[in-house]
Amino acid sequence: MCGIVGLHLRDRGLHARLGTLLSDMLGRIAERGPDSAGIGLYGDTATGAGQPAYTAGDFTVYKGVGPPAGVAASIDLARRTGHQGLAHTRMATESAVTAAHCHPFTPGGDLALVHNGSFANHATIRRALVRDGVRFDTDNDSEVAAHFIASSLADGDNLEKALGKVCETFDGFFTLLATTATQFAVVRDVVGGKPLLIAETEAYVAVASEYRALAGLPGIDTARVFEPAPEEVHLWSR
Amino acid sequence: MVTLMPGYERLSNAELVLDRDKLTLREVNRALRSLPPGGRARVVNPRGRHNLAVGLDADVAVDIDGPAGYYVGGLGKHATVTVHGRAGWGVGENLMSGSVHVLGDAGQSVASSAHGGTVVVAGDCSLRTAISLKGATVVVAGDVGGYCAFMAQAGTVLVGGDTGPALGDSLYEAVIYVAGRVKSLGTDARIEELRSEDVALVRSLAEAHDLDHIDPENVTRVASARELYHFDTHRAGSY
Amino acid sequence: METTPLPSPSPANHTFPPSVMDEIRQRAELGRYAIRGLGSRRAVPSFDDLTLLTAGASRYPLEGYRETCVTRTVLGARNAAEPIVLDIPVTIGGMSFGALSANAKEALGRAATAVGTSTTTGDGGMTPEERQSSKTLVYQCLPSRYGFDPDALRAADAVEVVLGQGAKPGGGGMLLGQKVGPRVAAMRTLPEGVDQRSASRHPDWMGPDDLRIKIEELREATDWRIPVYVKLGATRVDHDVRLAVAAGADVVVVDGMQGGTAATQDVFIEHTGIPTLAAVRQASDALADMGVLGEVQLIVSGGIRSGADVAKALALGADAVSIGVASLVALGCNAPSYPGEDGAPVDVTGDYLPLAAAPGSCTGCHTGLCPVGIATQDPALERRLDPQIGADRVANYLRALAMETTMLARACGKADVHHLEPEDLVALTVEAAAMARVPLAGTSWIPGAAP
Repeated sequence: MCGIVGLHLRDRGLHARLGTLLSDMLGRIAERGPDSAGIGLYGDTATGAGQPAYTAGDFTVYKGVGPPAGVAASIDLARRTGHQGLAHTRMATESAVTAAHCHPFTPGGDLALVHNGSFANHATIRRALVRDGVRFDTDNDSEVAAHFIASSLADGDNLEKALGKVCETFDGFFTLLATTATQFAVVRDVVGGKPLLIAETEAYVAVASEYRALAGLPGIDTARVFEPAPEEVHLWSR
Repeated sequence: MVTLMPGYERLSNAELVLDRDKLTLREVNRALRSLPPGGRARVVNPRGRHNLAVGLDADVAVDIDGPAGYYVGGLGKHATVTVHGRAGWGVGENLMSGSVHVLGDAGQSVASSAHGGTVVVAGDCSLRTAISLKGATVVVAGDVGGYCAFMAQAGTVLVGGDTGPALGDSLYEAVIYVAGRVKSLGTDARIEELRSEDVALVRSLAEAHDLDHIDPENVTRVASARELYHFDTHRAGSY
Repeated sequence: METTPLPSPSPANHTFPPSVMDEIRQRAELGRYAIRGLGSRRAVPSFDDLTLLTAGASRYPLEGYRETCVTRTVLGARNAAEPIVLDIPVTIGGMSFGALSANAKEALGRAATAVGTSTTTGDGGMTPEERQSSKTLVYQCLPSRYGFDPDALRAADAVEVVLGQGAKPGGGGMLLGQKVGPRVAAMRTLPEGVDQRSASRHPDWMGPDDLRIKIEELREATDWRIPVYVKLGATRVDHDVRLAVAAGADVVVVDGMQGGTAATQDVFIEHTGIPTLAAVRQASDALADMGVLGEVQLIVSGGIRSGADVAKALALGADAVSIGVASLVALGCNAPSYPGEDGAPVDVTGDYLPLAAAPGSCTGCHTGLCPVGIATQDPALERRLDPQIGADRVANYLRALAMETTMLARACGKADVHHLEPEDLVALTVEAAAMARVPLAGTSWIPGAAP
C-alpha cells in the first residue's frame, strides 16, 4: 500500500525542473508510504550523488529504504532533469522492506511500472510467467504485473492493450502507472479501489494518488483535473 | 484584525482566519470547534490536505479557501462547510445535519453513509456517490461516476448531469433523480414514473441550489424494485 | 430354530456422516446456504493443546491472596489522552443490539461495570441503555455504518474500526428479517422485516494507506481523546497486523476462526480464518518484529472459555482477551431453563425444538427464537432474561476467569498476569507446537524452527 506520482513533461522549458517537481510531489504524500521510495527518470543529464539501481539508455532508476524525503535527498533528486519521471513511496504489504522490493519495477529495456494496491491472484500468474522463462528478482506482487506487461509487449501488443489485459487477468485493487521512453499510461481496476488523479495542462500531464501531490505544480489552478474511470486506459506519447 | 500567533487570526469574537500552512490539523480543527454558534471561519492554504472541519457540532460557517482532501466536513452536525475548490474522497461522510458544499469536482464516496443535512457538489463526482446513504440529501450539478447510491438506504440524490454504470446497485429506500442520461442500472434498481411530488421535490432542490439546467419535469426517477429484501434461492447471482 | 442374523455394525462414514447428509438435504430444500449462529464447531488446534509449566524445583510459585498478582491492563496509551484502563485482562467483544436483545446488552454492560472491564457495541450502533450500563464502552465502526453517529463516537471510551471478525473474515454483517423489529429497523435505517444485506468493505476507504487517513478523521473528531482499535478476522495475520499498525492502530484486535456470530453461512464459519492459537502467536511476533510491543496492544478473541485460555493467550503475547459466546453461555445460552420470577427455574427444553436443537447443541441465534431471551427481538422471549440476574451471572463468570488466570500465573511464579511468557508453555501435539512455536512437551523440539 503506497503512493504514486508521475510527470510527463510536454514543455521543454520544464525539463530542467523535473527532479524538483517530482521531489515536491513525492514529499507531499510521503505518509502513504513511509518505508521506502523509488524514482525513475527519463532523459536525466545531471550528475549527482547516488548509484542507480537500474539503467537502460537514458532511463535511470534509483531506490532506497527509509522516508521518501531522505531517499530523494540522497540522490540529489532536486537537481535532476529529464522529460518524464515516475516515483513511488511504499508501505510494505506482502514482502520485505528492502531497496530491491521498491517500485518502479523494470522488467527490461525502458519499461517501468509503479503500483498502488494489492493483487489477489498474482501467485498463479507468476508461475505461468516462470514457466515461460521469466526470471523474477523479488517475491513482490507488483513485479508480476511488470513482467506480465513486458510479456504482452513482447507478444506484439501495444501498451494500451497490455494494460487492458492486466485488467482482464488480475484480481485485486490496483492503480498502475506504466512508462517507456515514449509513453506514459495509467489504468485502475474495475472497482476503482485505489485512488488516482490526473492533471493535464499544455505543459505537462501529472498523475498522483492524491490531489495533495499535485497542489504545488505550476498552473495547477487552471489544469484539467480528473479521476479516470475504472478499466479506462489513459495514455500519452511523445 | 488581531494576530494572536502565526497562522491564527481573530477578526472578531466569532470570526477566525486559520492558515493550514502554519497550523497543524489539530490546531485548525480545535479552533473551528471553539467557534460559538453563529461564528465564521476561513481556512486558507488547504492545498488538498485531509480531515478539515470534521466533527463540527455547532451552527457555524466554515469556508475552505482552496482544494480540500478526504472527509472534509465529515461527521458534522449543524455546520455549513464550503470548499472553494475541489475535494477528495468522502465529502461530508456520515453527515448528521447542516451542509457541505463543494464548488468544484469531488472524489469518491461523496456523502458516504450520511444521515441528514445536505451535500452539494457544483462539479462532477467520481465513483460511489451517496454510497450507503442513510437519509441525507445529495445534490450534484454535474455527472456522477459508477455505482452512485450503492446500497443507499434512505435519502434523496439529485444528479444534474449523467450517471456512470450500475446506478443504485442494491438500493434500499433512497430515491435518485437524474436530469441527464442513466448509463446503466444496478441490481434491483428500476426506473419509475415521475409523480407530481417528485417534480415538486426536484424543483425545490434545483431552485435552492441555482441549478437552472435541471428541468424538474424531465428527470428520471430511480428506486428499488425491492426484490432483494428477502434471501431467495433463485437470486443467487444478484448477491 | 432359525433366527435372522442381526446386521453387523457398518464402519463409520467419515466423508458422509449423518450430519453431512443432513446438511446436504437442507441445501436441497432451501436452495441456498445454511445460516446459523455461534462459531466453528469442528475440532481445530486450540489452547487445549497447550499446557502450562508451573512451579517445581526450578521455578517457585507465589502464594494466593497475600502475594498479589496484578491484573490491571492499560490499552491505547500511545496516542489517546484517555487510554482504557481495565481491572482484568478480559473484555466483552462486539455483539450488536439486534443480534442480541436489549436485556442481554444491558446485562453484559452491568456485569462489565461491576467487574471493571469494557463491553463493545456491534453492527447497529450504540443504544443509550448500553452507554449507561457499561462504564467502559468501545464503539465499533463497521462497513455497514448502521447507526454510526458522531455523538455516540464522542460519548465512547474507544473506537474500534472493524475490518472483519473471526467467524467470517471478508464477510459483512447479517441479520434476518425476523430480528429486524421496529427499534432495530429504526436504528439501522432499514425497512422492518427485511433480510439485512450488509457491505463487506467500508464505504469510504479501501486499503491501509487510506485507512490511515480515516483513523486520523476519527481522532480529529474526538480531539485525540480516545484510543483507536483495529479489529481483524484472523487470516493473513502477520501482514494484516503490520498494516494495521502502519495505519495508526493503538490496539490491534485479532479474532480467530472459533469466534462466534449471530448469523453467518455455515461454510463461512467453518472454512475461513485460522485458529486463535495460531493467530495470537503470529500477531504477537509481528508486533515484536515491528518494535512496537508495549506501544501497541494486542487483544485476542475466538473461543476463550476459561482462565487457562486467558493465561495461555497472555503467555503467547496478548495484552488482553475478549469473550463473546462464553459471556452468552454465562447469561444462559443453551441452558435448559431460565430463572423464573420466584427464582425457580422454568424449563424451556421444548422451546429448542423449533430451532431443531436441544439445550447444549443449539446454534439458532439467527432465528430470533432464542428460548432464553438472549438472541431475540421478541418481547415475550426477551422477558425471560432478567438483566440483573444475567448481570450477576456474567460478573461471576468474569471474576472466576480472573481468579483462574491469576492462580495459574502465580503458579508460574508471576507477580503480574502480563509477565506470562511463551517459555511458560509446552504443547501436547505437533500442530500446536508448530503454531504456538513452543516445544512439544518432554522435548526441546519446535517444529519448523531453526535448530
